[in-house]
Amino acid sequence: MAVALGSGPASSTDGRGGQAMTIEVDRLTKSFATGSRKRRRTIEAVHDISFSVGAGERLAYIGPNGAGKSTSIKILTGILFPTSGDAHVLGLVPWKQRRKLASRIGTLFGQRSQLWFELTPRQSFRTLAAIYGIAPERAASRVGELAGLFDAEDLFDVPVRNLSLGQRMRCELAACMLHEPEILFLDEPTIGLDLLAKQRFRELLVRLNEERGTTIFLTSHDVADIEQVARRAIVVNHGSVIYDDDVTAMRRTLLSTKLVEVGFERPVDAPVIDGVEVVERTATGLKLTVDTSRRSIREVLDTLLDSGVVADISVIDPPLEQVIAEIYGAPRA
Amino acid sequence: MTRHWFALTMRSAGQRVFADRAAVLVKLTFYVIVVTAIGSLWRGATDSNGGEIVGYTAAALFWYVATSEAAIVPLTMRMIEEIGDDIAGGAIAVELLRPASVLGVRLATEIGRGLTALAPIAVIGAVLAAVTVGAPPSALGAALAIPALVLAITCNVMAQHAVAAAAFWVRDARSVWFIYYKCVFVVGGMLLPLQVLPDWLQSVAFALPFSAMAYAPARLASGHVEPWLLLVQLGWLGVAGLAAWAAFSAGQRRLQVVGG
Amino acid sequence: MSARGIAATIGSAFAEVRSNRASFLTQVTVMVLNDAAWVVFWAIFFDRVGSVRGWDRDRVLTLLAVFMTGAGAVLALLANARRVGKLAADGELDAALALPIRPLAYVLVRRMDAINFGDVVFGVFLFVVVGDLSPGRVASFVLAVATSFVVLTGFLVTVGSIAFYAGKGEAGDFGLHAVLLFASYPIDIFSGGTKLLLYTALPAAFISGVPASVVDDFDLTRAVAMVGVACFFALAGAVSFRAGLKRYASGSVWTRA
Repeated sequence: MAVALGSGPASSTDGRGGQAMTIEVDRLTKSFATGSRKRRRTIEAVHDISFSVGAGERLAYIGPNGAGKSTSIKILTGILFPTSGDAHVLGLVPWKQRRKLASRIGTLFGQRSQLWFELTPRQSFRTLAAIYGIAPERAASRVGELAGLFDAEDLFDVPVRNLSLGQRMRCELAACMLHEPEILFLDEPTIGLDLLAKQRFRELLVRLNEERGTTIFLTSHDVADIEQVARRAIVVNHGSVIYDDDVTAMRRTLLSTKLVEVGFERPVDAPVIDGVEVVERTATGLKLTVDTSRRSIREVLDTLLDSGVVADISVIDPPLEQVIAEIYGAPRA
Repeated sequence: MTRHWFALTMRSAGQRVFADRAAVLVKLTFYVIVVTAIGSLWRGATDSNGGEIVGYTAAALFWYVATSEAAIVPLTMRMIEEIGDDIAGGAIAVELLRPASVLGVRLATEIGRGLTALAPIAVIGAVLAAVTVGAPPSALGAALAIPALVLAITCNVMAQHAVAAAAFWVRDARSVWFIYYKCVFVVGGMLLPLQVLPDWLQSVAFALPFSAMAYAPARLASGHVEPWLLLVQLGWLGVAGLAAWAAFSAGQRRLQVVGG
Repeated sequence: MSARGIAATIGSAFAEVRSNRASFLTQVTVMVLNDAAWVVFWAIFFDRVGSVRGWDRDRVLTLLAVFMTGAGAVLALLANARRVGKLAADGELDAALALPIRPLAYVLVRRMDAINFGDVVFGVFLFVVVGDLSPGRVASFVLAVATSFVVLTGFLVTVGSIAFYAGKGEAGDFGLHAVLLFASYPIDIFSGGTKLLLYTALPAAFISGVPASVVDDFDLTRAVAMVGVACFFALAGAVSFRAGLKRYASGSVWTRA
């Protein structure tokens, strides 16, 4: 099944009233030479990618391991320079104006810490505030704001060594937000967190975006990150963008499969319909997958309603995992 | 456990030493640097004193230093710290029922490592000394120095385990390795022949086990044929071994009672 | 702006190293005892030997005072100087690059090591005990320690920067132990090729011997030369790190097998 590039907000010339995009990436390519001297290989971590991100967006940049996600985010934050192509973040070229950009963006790498391990987060915040050039009084009030926003009043005065990973990540996030960055770049931030901690972290990201308009650019291979945080998803594989659209549109347009769950008042025989598979059956219930390219939902519903007295029926979009897996599995456009 | 578990453990530990080529190279280079430095120091010392210090000529002193360092460099300096970490971390607690074999395995590993690293170091040391000052002052002495080196390393490892056992009782006993090695350096004869020490300190040094770890083989290699040094080493080996065994048994009994 | 950030970073590093008071004191004590053992060695040595190539006990103790204070200060206050190679190879410079601050300065001051404060304490104590405390001598000592400090730092950063190109920081580790070992002996016991090495690529001479000689017997030419060498190594470190960072930014360090 060929995958068409989503028609989402990808081009910088289309309708945002002509204002400059927050992030503009144009034909970005990054190749590395690896291997020993005898067996030199070139790998193209990022191949000719282009996209734009507007202010205030919540974007998930997803792909399997080795897809080029970390490389892309390192280029956008100025840590790596590309082999070819252009990128502008807040109008600045990241690898040429790294320090200037660093005071306007926040970066959270899942495995790297900005906090001093033996000190309390509050002590680290004071130092980071000095590094960002925030006046002490402004910094103190900002920390107070963050404590309220993050519901972390009791965490900021505990030495980092005594915090759980989830608590630590929340404090790391606060550290990134001290200087009120316009964009927050996060590279796999929920790795290693338990479900509850992941949940809280995602809620925080959404809140930061909704209350402060911070643009969120998040890389992940956890589908739930996308489902719960992102409004837009860019899917990369083998270094290329293979999908770029709103998350809801992605679900709807990509897969022709839908799930139908139906419960009857009395046991009925499962109807045999072309394009419909029975996934599960109980005495009075059925779970079906419907290939809507072969049989429309309407026809299936009609057939089911004719089969018996329906007590309950629902049509469900497939889980995002399935959508992504289908995108990865599809041949390159 | 198979009957020859001690030898087998030694051998596998030895094999692993050579697997890390870079580390071996670093140790060898370090050895050459140390012998050069201290050798140069003693060369300067004999030059200012008519070619001889406490009965050692310049050549003898170089063979001395090459040998005393060969007895020490093959071992991991932080061994006491590592053993202490194992104890604190509870790795030892796993084998509560058989204290001897826990200690035995550890000893076999460290001795295997030490003796394996000794081989290339001893060869390089002999070449370095031969090139710098010529043949060893006494062929017999040099020959006796070889088993003495083996005994020195074994004795050192045993003693370190006995000392490290303090970690069963005291949490921060690990940093004691600094002090242990200072003893080896000064009263163990690694940096200087024990005859250099003032008389009262010499008596103390000869009464301590450290002299078996560096002085004994070095004294032999420097041309002083005193075969009874090997017996002294064996004696200290026995004492250290017993001490290690007793300390580990007591320590593990304590673990059982206190619960680690 | 950068200066305020660096100052605050130093503050945090110091707060962190002091956070466990008992451990801090224990480590400092262990090091003081360790250094004292070296003084015992030299006392015994010179008691029997008298002097070696113009160096007697007091001269060597002055050398140790300068060496322990200067080198100890580097390892204590700029604890990452010896770890530049490892940080580069492990990709740990990312955190520094995410901040609006000069990466080398930040990385160097970000961490302190408690144990080497013992060296500094003992080194100063040794200086006080060994010689007279005339203002001139004290000023020379300060200059000597500063030289030793700068030379060692520059050397460590330069050698550590090799990791941007090859290895995982082993060169830095090895360089550190080698230079410290040679610097702990009176320089004139070495001759020929070794001595040349210690005045150039492995600058042990400028970490202990030469600065100490300036304390004992101030000579303007030697002092100026010494400061010149310090400037050279500072520059070498800065240039090496900068070049290495360019390579880091190319991703070549990160993707090395």
